Amino acid sequence: MVPYEYYVALSGLLMVLGLIGVIVRKNVIAMLISTELMLNAVNIAFVAFDFKLHDVVGQVFVFFILTIAAAEAAVGLGLIMAIYRMKKDVDVEKLTELKG
Amino acid sequence: MELSVVAFWILSTIAVVSAIGVVFFKNIVYSVLSLISALIAISGLFFNLGAELVGALQILIYAVAIVVFYVLVISTVPQYKGEAVDPKYALLSAPFGFILFLELAYVSVYGLWASNTGIFSPDIFQQISNAKAVATLLFTKYLFPFEVASLILLVAMIGAILLGKKDIVEDEEGGA
Repeated sequence: MVPYEYYVALSGLLMVLGLIGVIVRKNVIAMLISTELMLNAVNIAFVAFDFKLHDVVGQVFVFFILTIAAAEAAVGLGLIMAIYRMKKDVDVEKLTELKG
Repeated sequence: MELSVVAFWILSTIAVVSAIGVVFFKNIVYSVLSLISALIAISGLFFNLGAELVGALQILIYAVAIVVFYVLVISTVPQYKGEAVDPKYALLSAPFGFILFLELAYVSVYGLWASNTGIFSPDIFQQISNAKAVATLLFTKYLFPFEVASLILLVAMIGAILLGKKDIVEDEEGGA
């Protein structure tokens, strides 16, 4: 069997890649997609710890994370649609005003 | 080499390469396709760890439902013309990301983790399936968070509808 540390290290690598994506991308939708990567990295860590600790609580929490990810995607993309309708742009460099 | 080891290396390579594609593809549609590839590889990793229920839910909810949201929004918003990656942030994020990864890998390999205290050892999983174990815990100890999750989904649905629809006030003024 693969030691569970490898899974946790893989989770860390995906987390860092998602974080880099949030930092470097200029498109708002791409930033939201990178957030999905980070959520998946957490899921891998939860399931790997379940495997190690002989438990299933982590998988219950993965279930909740899936729910939250669906809600986050729906609300986030709704916000992006509203912003696009108002500003006609999805570039974060140009979405700098707090005023509507 | 054991089959699960081979599966781990293949699936994790696919996941990491796809994640790099998600971050660095200029065209956002390619990014979403890479995301689907990464999600399916991660679902394979869940199956490899013996978490069938979560792996199946990963494909059903993530790789199908959530990605459809993204594809719909991308098809509505016109193609983004600017450069994909901000060069000054890209230069800055590489060393910080590398250091963060080193730290995460260090604590994951050399960290002082708790020893296994759970009751679901592999021979118990032989008797009751993984889905039964997760569902039993979900509907007994975590019943209240489960109900709250349904409420969160309802609120998110209403919020998405309100945010996504066109401005009613403007329409009424225009009509009157």
